[in-house]
Amino acid sequence: MSNEHYLIVSYFLVGLVSLCLGIAVYRVLRTPFAAIAEAVIGKLRSQVLTRALGAFMTLAAVLGFLSVSYNERGCVNYEQVVKNRDSLVRTNQEQLQKTGDWIASAVFLWCFVVLICLLAAGSTPANRNDKT
Amino acid sequence: MSPHSIAFLLALVASILIVLLIDRLLRPGLRGLLQEIVILPAATEFYLRAFAIVLVSVAIGAVLGSSFNLKDGARFMEYVWAVATGLKDVFQNLFVVLLVYVGLITVLIAALTRRQ
Repeated sequence: MSNEHYLIVSYFLVGLVSLCLGIAVYRVLRTPFAAIAEAVIGKLRSQVLTRALGAFMTLAAVLGFLSVSYNERGCVNYEQVVKNRDSLVRTNQEQLQKTGDWIASAVFLWCFVVLICLLAAGSTPANRNDKT
Repeated sequence: MSPHSIAFLLALVASILIVLLIDRLLRPGLRGLLQEIVILPAATEFYLRAFAIVLVSVAIGAVLGSSFNLKDGARFMEYVWAVATGLKDVFQNLFVVLLVYVGLITVLIAALTRRQ
């Protein structure tokens, strides 16, 4: 496989993997998050928040992938980018690394969203006892 | 298989084992703590899943970000040093993640127990 073929295949493959990672993270977190949102703000509005979680995770993953540029390593034109296979592999690794970093940041952000939801619901045992 | 690939795979396996170990060590205590503070079981599940996702993504990202510059015919200790360099990044990232997570849980405890 020539370097140019490798660049084309790896670019789209890593992009797809990044997108799938974002979707996978959303699917892992969706069930508990939907339950929390439904308990706090009701079923109708919880759907909006759950969809926002999906959009956010997917966007974070794609953003991580797109944030790595092939021109960052001193390569000005296309021929220079294609010339070195090691550099191409390294860029693919960096794309996946950034995807992971962005997903981690997004998950932490949504942890704070859940915290705010819990505070809004006042879902401590004591508060529940007060209400009942 | 090139020396680069061998060192990368070794570091990857080691980092996955480290993540599993940390998760196994912290999960029972964390689950108990969250169950005590948060009445919604879904919230406990969410925070535990988020914890696992962040650990895995950060550890594997650190291995992917490390460079293993090994030439053909590299000696045993050169592999060890290369893997150790990769693991250094993994530990650094895990340290930051645990720090942030501890901060998050502290805020959670402080905010929710204050309302009791």
